[in-house]
Parts: sequence; C-alpha cells; structure tokens
Amino acid sequence: MVFTFILVPLVMASLMPLIGKISKKFLPDILTNITLLFLLIYSITIGRQIISSGTGIRQLVWLGQQLNITLALDGFSLLMLFLISLVSFAVGLYCINYMEHYGSKAVFYALFLLMIAGMNGLVLATDLFSIYVFLEVAAVASYALVAFGLGYDELEASFKYLMLSAVATAFILVSIALIFGFTDSLRLHDVALAFQLLNAKYLVGLCVTLFIFGFGLKAAIVPFHAWLPDAHPSAPAPISAMLSGVLIKISGIYAITRIFLNVFGLNPAISTVLMYLGVISILVGAIIAFSQNDIKRMLAYSSISQIGYIILGIGLGTPLGILGGLFHLFNHGIFKSLLFLNSGAVEQATGTRALDKMGGLAKRMPITAATSVVGSLSIAGVPPLNGFWSKLIIIIALVQAKAYGFAIVAVLASGITLWYYLIIQRQAFFGKLNETWNNVKEAPFWMSASMIILALICIAIGILFPIIIKSWLVPATNVLSAGVYYTINLFRF
Amino acid sequence: MIQTLLLTALVIFSILAVLLRDLLKAAISLAIASIFLAIIFFRMNATYAGVFEISVVAGLITVLFVSTIALTKSDGDVRESKVVSILFPIFFVLFIIIDIFVMKTLLNRLMVVRYPAPTGNFGQVLWGQRTLDLVGQIGVIFAGVFAVIALFRKRDKKDE
Repeated sequence: MVFTFILVPLVMASLMPLIGKISKKFLPDILTNITLLFLLIYSITIGRQIISSGTGIRQLVWLGQQLNITLALDGFSLLMLFLISLVSFAVGLYCINYMEHYGSKAVFYALFLLMIAGMNGLVLATDLFSIYVFLEVAAVASYALVAFGLGYDELEASFKYLMLSAVATAFILVSIALIFGFTDSLRLHDVALAFQLLNAKYLVGLCVTLFIFGFGLKAAIVPFHAWLPDAHPSAPAPISAMLSGVLIKISGIYAITRIFLNVFGLNPAISTVLMYLGVISILVGAIIAFSQNDIKRMLAYSSISQIGYIILGIGLGTPLGILGGLFHLFNHGIFKSLLFLNSGAVEQATGTRALDKMGGLAKRMPITAATSVVGSLSIAGVPPLNGFWSKLIIIIALVQAKAYGFAIVAVLASGITLWYYLIIQRQAFFGKLNETWNNVKEAPFWMSASMIILALICIAIGILFPIIIKSWLVPATNVLSAGVYYTINLFRF
Repeated sequence: MIQTLLLTALVIFSILAVLLRDLLKAAISLAIASIFLAIIFFRMNATYAGVFEISVVAGLITVLFVSTIALTKSDGDVRESKVVSILFPIFFVLFIIIDIFVMKTLLNRLMVVRYPAPTGNFGQVLWGQRTLDLVGQIGVIFAGVFAVIALFRKRDKKDE
C-alpha cells in the first residue's frame, strides 16, 4: 500500500514523545531506526513491485470503503522515495550517537519523522494543493530541526529560513490559485489537459515564473539561495545532511521537475531559463565555496553549485540530460549527506568548523578522513566514483545538444569543485597534526557506521552504475521524457 | 465599488501590520485586515472561509499575539536598516503595476477551462474529497506542536 510511506512515519512521529516518556534514548533510537529501515526495504521491494505493473496509481481503501486519497507511484517518485529512505536511514543511525548531547531525542526524532512523512507525501501527491500541504509539513518540521541546538546562530538561521520559505510559499500559492482560477481543478491530470486545451503561453509563463521564484527558493537556486548558507551550517550535522542531501531536492527540484515537465511541458523558453539558472548556480556556488573557511558553509555553497548541475541536466530536456540530472540528484543526495556527516564528526571531536584550525586529523580520525576522501572525490567527479558518471552524462548530453558553452562551464566548475574539496582534505585531515588535537578520538560506532555505509554506496554506484541506471534511473527518465502526455494518459483516475 | 474599497482597506491594514513598530498596534492592524478579508469572503459566497478567517485569524490568533506581547518584556529597540523603508514603497508600487498589468492585460484575454465543480456541501468536500490534505494538516499540526516543545525545552546543564 503506497500510503504506508506517509502513514508509518506520521504515526511513529505522533507516538515518539510518548515513547520518550518511557525511555529517553533507547526506545526512540531503536524504533526510529526500525521505521527508517522498514521504509527503505519497502521502497525497494514493494515500490518496485507496484511500478513494474505500470504506474502505481492507488486509491486508498479503508474498512472496505474507498477513501478519496489518491497517490501515484511511478519511476520518478519511486527514485525519490528510495533516496529519502536511504539517506534518512544512514542519518538515523548517525543520530544515535550524535544527538546524545542535544537532549530531547524523542522530540527530535518526532520532527525528523514528520519531515520524512512530508517529503514522502509531496512525492506521492497527485494534486497541486496536496503538494503544497506536504511541502509545509516538511518545511515546518525542518525550521524546528535547524533551530534544535537553540544557540543564537541556529535560531537566527532558522528564522531567516522560515521568512524566506514563507515568501517562497506565497509565490507557490499565488501560482496554484491562478491555475485553479483558469482550470477549476488542482489535479495534475486535469491541469495538464487544460493547459493543452487552453494553449495559454502567457499563463504558463506567469505560473512558471512564480513557481521558479517559489520552488527555486526552496531548492536554493541562484539568485534565490540566500537562506541556505546560514541554515545548513547552523543545523545539527544530521539535519544539514538531510536538508542538503534530500529536502532541497524534494521540495525544490522534484516539484519543479514534476510540474514543468509533466504538467506544463518543457518548451524551449522554460528549458533556456532553467539551463541559465543552472549554470549560474554552478558558477556562483563553486566560486563562493572556494573562499570559505567554515567547513559546513563551504559544503552549503557546494550544494548550490551541485544543484546547478541537476537543473542544467534536467532543464536541457533531452532524455540523456534528464537521466544525467536525475543521476546527479541521486548521487548528490548520497555524497553530500556523507560530507555533512563527516563535518559533524569533526566538529563534535574538535569543537570547531574552521578549516584553518584543523590539520592532520586523519591520524586521529581515520574512518572520518577516509570516508571524507571518498565523498570529496565523488562530488568532484573523479572516476570511477558515482559523481564522475553523473557529471559525465550531463556533459555528454550538453555536447550532444550542441550546448558547448554550458558544457565548458560544467567541466571548468568541476575542476574548481575538485580544488576546494582538496583544500578541505589538506587543511582538515592531512598534513601535520595540530597539537591541539592530540587527544581527539574517532567518531563513535554508529556515526562511523553510517559514514562507512554512505561511502560504500558511493563506490558501489560508481562501479555498478549500469545496473543503477537501468533499474532506477531509466524508469524515472521515461516518466519525465514522456512529458505532458504521461500525466494526461496515466494520471487518469 | 464596495469590493474595491474593501480590498483597499485590506491592503492598507496589511501594510500597517508590517510597518508599525509598536507590536500591539501591528497585531491589531492584522486583525482588522483579517476582518476585511472575511467580509470579502462572505461577499464572494465563501461562507466557511469567512467564518474561519474571523474566528481563527481575527480572533484566536490576535488573542495569542496580544497575550504574548503582554507577557513579553521589552528588550530595548532593535535598530532597523533604513533601506527597508526606502525599498518597500518602491517594491510595493512596482508590485501594484505588475499586478494590474498581469490581471487586466494578460489574464483577461485567456480562455478558461471549466471542470465539473466538486459536488456536495462543505463537509462532504472537506472530508470526502480533500482527505489527503487533512492527513497533511495533521502533519502540520504535529510539526507545529513538536516545534514548540523542542524550541521551548529546558536544556541540560551540561549543554549550556
């Protein structure tokens, strides 16, 4: 049952504070991680089973009566569900040790599970207003999670994030209201069909602009990125991993992609706008990341740059471009989460995020250093790791489409990415050990385990990429490549 | 004509809610703006939306704001950048111009597709046709409650 993806984390979240009354740490740790493992296995087994028989449009039946809850599970939404489940499971393991000193673990897990329920709901929704509602579920939970440390920086970052998200939401709602005014419906199928009948290029242009403002802010595409370099570094490391690894992709990229490609249809104008936004994000993110001394801030700017690659690939609109964009989206979810978890381990061990104060930590934290090397090389696109293949596919797609200028920028920015990740490695982990850190110890067991899992996934995807492409990415690409006709033909219910 | 007056009053009191430096006056302006919005809802036959707007936004939320302001000690004036007071009117006028241009010039020319409207009364539509949104609303309420619990919790001494 597809509704399980929403119901299980929602129910567990509601129970978590009560569970926290019985056991402050043990039961919340165990039950949250069992829930996350269940969702991961469910997305792999049941999810694949459902979409193997065509699009998994499901109307919920409860006690023999049909409820009006209609969810759609297809190749694209399943890829997103898999990414959410995979990253959140690794992050859940990490939280067992990392969140010890924050206190109120049960409430933390409740918010964490709500964020997951919100993202799952957004991915499965077949109606524009439902997309907005679940966007808010994930957003409200994430504001609290960013501020969870209760420090000045955390509260300020959370407030900034909340304010800019409210602006984003206003743009999204105005666009939804306009669409409703012209079509009398909010169902993706109806809207897609209506826009085909109306042939309303002005209306599409206006709605696209409003959605780019709204979802672009959520995805932190340049020039809507101002909140991200504050919010992501200030949050606890596992939440930074979730925000950069998953949330900006689901609430920004997924929504833009689904609506622009499957509802409006990607025309040359939208494609050009997306590609320019992508390439500007790539450059601006990479150049600003280069000059950062705070490791988490550098990673945050790097996220903006990598989101640019994803938008560039998807915006290109060719099947290969879409495949490359989705592959990079998936890969970035894995290695950026890993890198934020690495930075959290370093911050917890040393108490600093300043790169110039670190040095030689590989001698004291070999697992963190080794996994960080894997993450850094992956994101920089060094073969044979996963980031190399996704960037290569995007660049090949750009060359095939004769977008040589964009391809050159993508290659050059990849070089800059490698450069600043090598700076992280050299300043934080290698070189002479800073004597201040003589007593520093490796991250605790569960933190190390989660970092190892993500690093191994980076390597495994790099080696087994044809299997991943065939089994997970091609079905997702097919959904998006089919464009509006996919929604009109298969979202009928 | 009445509609235009109501909309103008709504915009004026909304702007006052943002610009007034006295929090109490800002909260009251917001409540008045909300009452105008509720009247607009009633005039457009959106009775339930009007009732919710008056009871929740103009009523309950205003009470919460006023109570919180009454219980909070002033921590001194916070210096604000003057750039905002210069930029706001410029952006506002620009917004109005773009809004009029879009609504009058572009959208009036477009055709509209009419799908069959949802049938049934308010309760049937809410419970029977927007069921998934209600599940989402439960999620939003939980998130809000847990956020309050998380942000107003007492920290352990060792964390401070």
